[in-house]
Amino acid sequence: MVGFAILWLLPAVWVLVTSLKLTENIIRVPPEWIPWPATLVHYGEVLFSSSRTARIGRAFVNSAIVSVGTVALVVLTSAMAAYPLARMRFRGRNVIFALLVGSLMIPNAVVLVPQYILTHRLGWLSTYQGLIVPEAAMTFAFGVFLLRQFFLTMPAELEDAARIDGAGPWRIFTRILLPLSQPALGALAIFAFRSAWNDFLWPLIAVNKPEMFPLPVALALLRGAYSSESYGPIMAGATLSALPLLVVFLLANRRIIEGARVSGLKG
Amino acid sequence: MDRTLTKVDRRAFLRAAAGATASLPVLTRRASAQPKPTISYWNGLTGADGKIMDELIDQFTKDTGIRIEQQRIPWADLYAKLQVSVPAGQGPDLALIHTIEVPHFANDGVLEAIDESRATAKGFRADDYLPSTWQGGVYQGKRYALPLDVPQHLLYLNVKVMREAGLVGSDGKPKIPASRDELLAMAKQITKGDTFGFSIGTVNPGKYTWGFQNLLWQNGANVYAADLKRAALAEPAAIEVAEFWGAIHAQHKVALPANANCRDAFIAGKLGIWIAGSWNFTGLREAKVDFAVSPVPRLFKQPVVWSMPHQFTFPRPKAADNAKRDAAWAYMRWISDHVAEWTLKAGQVSALRKPHSDPRITGDPVLRTLLAQAPNWQGGQPTPKWVAAENLTRPVIESVYIGQKPAAAAMQDLARQINALPD
Amino acid sequence: MVRRGALTPYLFLAPGLALFVAFRVYPLLDGLRLSFTNARLGRAQYAFVGLANYERLLEDTRFHASLVNTAFYAVASTLPILAIPLLLAVALNRGIALRTFLRSAFFFPFTLSVVTVGLTWLWLLDPVVGPFNYYLKALGIPVRSWLADPTTAMWAIIVTSVWWVTGYYLVIYLAGLQDIPRELYEAAALDGAGGARAFWAITLPLLRPVFLFVFVTHVIGSFQIFGQVFILTQGGPGDATRTVVQHLYETAFQNFFLFGSASAMAWVLFALILVFSLLQFRLLRGHTQY
Repeated sequence: MVGFAILWLLPAVWVLVTSLKLTENIIRVPPEWIPWPATLVHYGEVLFSSSRTARIGRAFVNSAIVSVGTVALVVLTSAMAAYPLARMRFRGRNVIFALLVGSLMIPNAVVLVPQYILTHRLGWLSTYQGLIVPEAAMTFAFGVFLLRQFFLTMPAELEDAARIDGAGPWRIFTRILLPLSQPALGALAIFAFRSAWNDFLWPLIAVNKPEMFPLPVALALLRGAYSSESYGPIMAGATLSALPLLVVFLLANRRIIEGARVSGLKG
Repeated sequence: MDRTLTKVDRRAFLRAAAGATASLPVLTRRASAQPKPTISYWNGLTGADGKIMDELIDQFTKDTGIRIEQQRIPWADLYAKLQVSVPAGQGPDLALIHTIEVPHFANDGVLEAIDESRATAKGFRADDYLPSTWQGGVYQGKRYALPLDVPQHLLYLNVKVMREAGLVGSDGKPKIPASRDELLAMAKQITKGDTFGFSIGTVNPGKYTWGFQNLLWQNGANVYAADLKRAALAEPAAIEVAEFWGAIHAQHKVALPANANCRDAFIAGKLGIWIAGSWNFTGLREAKVDFAVSPVPRLFKQPVVWSMPHQFTFPRPKAADNAKRDAAWAYMRWISDHVAEWTLKAGQVSALRKPHSDPRITGDPVLRTLLAQAPNWQGGQPTPKWVAAENLTRPVIESVYIGQKPAAAAMQDLARQINALPD
Repeated sequence: MVRRGALTPYLFLAPGLALFVAFRVYPLLDGLRLSFTNARLGRAQYAFVGLANYERLLEDTRFHASLVNTAFYAVASTLPILAIPLLLAVALNRGIALRTFLRSAFFFPFTLSVVTVGLTWLWLLDPVVGPFNYYLKALGIPVRSWLADPTTAMWAIIVTSVWWVTGYYLVIYLAGLQDIPRELYEAAALDGAGGARAFWAITLPLLRPVFLFVFVTHVIGSFQIFGQVFILTQGGPGDATRTVVQHLYETAFQNFFLFGSASAMAWVLFALILVFSLLQFRLLRGHTQY
């Protein structure tokens, strides 16, 4: 079993190993698993763009800004929307919820072209908001669904007590509901972060300025004409792009898997 | 509305006047009085020649103080991005494209027309250039581009591989195929195990349309008929070429897999005879491959050589910026003045004629061969639908290459698809 | 239930709903409108053309090929994606050593972006210098250029996808397995029903809702597959791996810039997904208790 797991990880190891090899050793057959002599030249090239092909360093920053922005927007709007849907009675509640759940079935490809036109008209092409807002809109319905489920499981007594003390809905929301929802909020945040960090198709068409490319697009455009020269930098770029999520994963291993579990079982 | 128009007119006039004065020979002195602009420059030189372009750009910045934000994007993605970014007002200040892209970009309003008198004032004159390259920048009577160099095809022979197959003469020179049959026979002799005899193209030989076009033209065929309206790919001459395309891989199995990297294979000694772009040879020298070159052999009726000059263009900007435009002109002027270096280091023959008599260039056997091919150069047809037709062609010739579709049926289907392209 | 002012719920809902309506509902309907026009990138004017785009789709053999390929991918990848994570989860659930490490190892690929995954496998499967073929040859297994052969290209993409998402479904299965009370297994053991029997009689039936989730999630996702195709094969060789979204992307943003046509394609895809979802809902209504 352990052997199988190691086999499973070999492709990732191969990427790492390739990124550390000298260019002339990369296309050597039989494949060498120990990069010796090892070099960081590809990482330098890709980060400090002395070759100017792809500014991975800048792409990193772009991805970070977009991902964090998306998470903030999604968590805020989803939580605010889930609260009344879980805890209040009002006209249109069921219709709105049904719409949101139904929208989960809409493939992103269907809105691609009109979303592009809309983003263009707003002047948001190649901007951070042009990436954050549509991405957040994509995840919003799921976020509402997830959080509403969670809010429903919370005991009403706490809110009743607060109401008796004279707290208004906003205070109840911020002082009681949110702090107690950390697991679900965390799960949503991680889900939204991963979704935004790895989004490929939308940034591919919505970003025209190379300095605004997020990581996946910058990586994809690294595929130059000649593999033996591009693969070093490509593998270095790929390793770098995996690092943040790897770090987050190692640190928050439980939380992420919990998040996957929650998103799965309540679905 | 009217008032705004007049305001813009006045501003435009003042700008034009300022621009005109700035373009006088007093340029250098005046330019040094203003802060230097930074211009964005897109091209698809993702291979070894990209690094040479980097060096030249650095030197340009040292000489003039103008900074260039170069962005290299693989050609296919570059053209898609240009098409999408310019209407959004986010295109670059300068773009290097292939000649064949000029008609459709010009037609779609992606490129700004270049005033001929302005070009002359900047030192770009018709007489200095090879006629085919100079003409390539013109579409429907207006100029949109100025040429830089002439990438073209060349025949590469891996001496080591051919020696092992017994195809190297006592003088150490590999045998050169003079016909299709001879080529196939030689290729079969070379093909053994994971070594292949013959391939066309740098990467993804299955859908290498430039190679396919080279062969079409050798056989007197073309994508469009002379009226540039109807596809001519269902003609017998074109089908004959398609059959050869399928024969080298699906039938005789002497060519690399459809998604292989021929350049790597050639360097690694897994490919013997190779028709590919001239932009590869400096990289081969760096990798210390023992190789010889020869003009593209006459596999069909004429020894046509595919050529595709690179052209400098001005994508339509959101708003006119004279400082940036002048900086772009300065760069074009500078690199044209230094094009001999570009030829020597990147291996691309210049569109300018003067460097062709430079002894350093005529002394290089490969460059000499490239120059000698000039009478046989041919390029794509100047119709805006050329690129769309090429996009349709790729999967079709790939399916012929892998033997998934018979040549005649594939070409007929392709002709139908091309004829169905909307205007 | 909180009831503080009639407007309160709507105020809470407002930001999210604004976002949702502007960037989900409006584009959806606008896409339908566009599918009846000849809109093109970069052209300010466009005209209403009725059903012309849809009619053209009826004759577009490459679009048909993309539908077939997408359906093939959805169907052919379902069994591996249902089964492999399940088997791994069952094995892991036995409380073996290094469980956390194993779980993390299998989950790791899921943290990578589709571009990284695609580039990894593109490199692995390189026909000349890739290690995958090298080791297969060493084991005496006949090899070919997996991504360049129309009969194997889609399978190569499926393998890549399985490697990518197995970890995610593994975790979901694990959670489902852990919800099954131990007593059931103990009771079965007392009755003499060992491992395999217990698996079929207890595990599988009780995992039904999880199966359903995995199945539906996967199929709907597979209708939209794009990243792997774009990086690994770009729809090739020929049209062998061309999927609907790949074709849509090429039509709208890479080769032809035909927004009207692409919108028609998108709505056909949407209609198919709706049909599938309705069918699935009908067939399985009442069969599951969550």
